[in-house]
Amino acid sequence: MGVVKVKQKYKWKWYEKFYFISISAGMLTTMKYFLKCAILRKQVTVQYPEEIRPLSSRFRGRHTLKRDNKGRERCTSCFCCMWVCPAQCIHIEAAKVPENEKENYPEDKYAKVFNIDTLRCIFCGLCEEACPKGAIYLDGGIPMPEDDRDDFLITKDILLEKEGGPIIGTRM
Amino acid sequence: MVTITVDGKEYSVDENKNLVDALKEVGIHIPTFCYHPKLSVAGLCRLCLIEIEGVPKLQIGCGTAVKDGMKIIVTSEKIIKAREAIMEFQLINHPLDCPVCDKAGECKLQDYSFSSGTSTTRYKENKRTTPEEEIGDNLLINHNRCIMCLRCVRFQKEILNDPRLERIHRGNQSMIGCISNGKDEGKKLIDHNYQGALSDLCPVGALLNKDMLYKSRVWWYDRTQSICHGCSSLCKITVDVKNNEVYRYMPPEDPYNNGYFICDQGRFSAEDFTKERLFSYAYKGINKKSPDVFSEIKNTWQNAQSIVFVGGTTESNESLEKIKEIIQSMIKTGKNVKWEYKTMQYMWESNWAEEVDFLMTSDKRPNSKKAREVIEGPFSNEKDFIAALKNADIIFSLNEFSAPYSYRINDENELSENILYKIFENENLWGKIINLTTHDNNASKKALASFPVKAMTEIENSFTDKKGEIKKTKISVRPPEGLRNTAEVLEYFINSVERQTAIA
Ligand code: SF4
Ligand code: SF4
Ligand code: FES
Repeated sequence: MGVVKVKQKYKWKWYEKFYFISISAGMLTTMKYFLKCAILRKQVTVQYPEEIRPLSSRFRGRHTLKRDNKGRERCTSCFCCMWVCPAQCIHIEAAKVPENEKENYPEDKYAKVFNIDTLRCIFCGLCEEACPKGAIYLDGGIPMPEDDRDDFLITKDILLEKEGGPIIGTRM
Repeated sequence: MVTITVDGKEYSVDENKNLVDALKEVGIHIPTFCYHPKLSVAGLCRLCLIEIEGVPKLQIGCGTAVKDGMKIIVTSEKIIKAREAIMEFQLINHPLDCPVCDKAGECKLQDYSFSSGTSTTRYKENKRTTPEEEIGDNLLINHNRCIMCLRCVRFQKEILNDPRLERIHRGNQSMIGCISNGKDEGKKLIDHNYQGALSDLCPVGALLNKDMLYKSRVWWYDRTQSICHGCSSLCKITVDVKNNEVYRYMPPEDPYNNGYFICDQGRFSAEDFTKERLFSYAYKGINKKSPDVFSEIKNTWQNAQSIVFVGGTTESNESLEKIKEIIQSMIKTGKNVKWEYKTMQYMWESNWAEEVDFLMTSDKRPNSKKAREVIEGPFSNEKDFIAALKNADIIFSLNEFSAPYSYRINDENELSENILYKIFENENLWGKIINLTTHDNNASKKALASFPVKAMTEIENSFTDKKGEIKKTKISVRPPEGLRNTAEVLEYFINSVERQTAIA
């Protein structure tokens, strides 16, 4: 069997052996940015987390559950997101809407429990695509660090913080 | 057999059937809603339209008998148009409920709307809406979803002979209503044993069972073809399992040969098999490793002279034969061993596998036929049996305190109503009982020792039904590693005790 040699040792040219040229090229870049930030005030870093850079409209962050324009929960607990989730991090328990809470839900079925384990979530956005009701979106921004593993399990009251847009299929 | 021509091809079909059934046998599927092979032909939905040569108008396949030399067309442009029109008509009042509806995934309306319908509707008017209603103690009707096929009405009339459902009002307003059946006073809710069958029968999600409401979706299930544990009819069924838990029984995959209906008693008690299970050996209600439990009861076992085995009607054929062998070898060592299978009140009566209706028997144990063949049943009445129990040094209970045979999980009281439980309680016999059981309950806590065994959904064995036919179960739930079936546990116990004594 013939052997193909893929790795060859780089041969330095004589002038490259003086590191001086490379170092000054690097220093030039540093100086360029120093002047840009210090004099022209055009720095690119921000003071995270006090300051948050505007996110792309397609950014996939923490999940939110939406309400419709009458303030009712859009999720009807159809289990589509739970089914599609490749990380199996969504847990839903469905129930019949109690008589006295009918005005809060558009249908007879609602999600009694809706938990997402954000530690398992891979932020693929498949749940968002699978939802036929436009109820789940990954538009909750960048998830904050927590001290406790349990805090990464987000429940319905955290998820439902955000009011949804008027049109199904559009992000707010 | 006669020959008919379908779309220019010749087929030989059964002349005693209608076109839908006859063509199904040769592999041509005609969509239907209202037709059901076990019910009379109603001709209501008109989805099964076909063209017959020489007949100017389209005809319904379900209402047309096969005739020799008939020439029919099932895939012409005309038929496709007609089906689209019918589907559009069926969907006029049907809500777009599929994310909420429990039938989604096994709904005929969904299937045919996909295969034969158009994807848009021209209907601009408001849809008719009627609130959901309870029409049975385990049955809901969602009138909006109903397509008026009247299968439920015909099932009540023809199969159950209890005309309690009827179509009320007319035209667009028609709906299914619960009426007086002429026998009972006034109008009563449905309370029979076939409410699950009714919801199966409904081609859409109009009839739903309250017990199963919103618990899962049909596409989650892993399905296994097996047999029902509920009575000695041993109906063939499909076990629907999700996350290694039994959720429901459904009629078998091939209902044409295996029967279309199963009763509620089997269907809704199946979930008990995977709840509150005993997965550990226990001594006086405290969970321990099996060698520890065995060494605790070793002395009692070795000094025991008279031993009684009770139960066996829930065991498989193979298990029964093996237990018999074990007992015979015990007798050889000079012990006095009796085995009694009659543990339910009705078993002491002479003829107890009576039919209750077209499906069910009053005998609630799956393998009592084989048990009666294998076990001699030495006691002729309950008194002798109790006396023998009192004199016994050790009593083995073979799966007698397990759900769903002796009680239902959600009803703990039922266990204390069990007659064997009462005998043990009244005569204070718990101290000498070795309880082979699948479930963790009061009995397993009170018994001297409890050994966990496999449930019927976890074994692949054969059972004998009331007619003597041998039927096979399949493994539908994965048991934990190391769990044994009843006969294996007995063998394991005896061998381990022998080994322990030999070492000591
Ligand atoms: S983003 Fe992907 S991994 Fe995360 S919950 Fe949705 S489907 Fe699951
Ligand atoms: S409730 Fe179901 S079975 Fe009864 S008529 Fe309506 S669609 Fe048919
Ligand atoms: S199936 Fe033939 S008319 Fe309904």
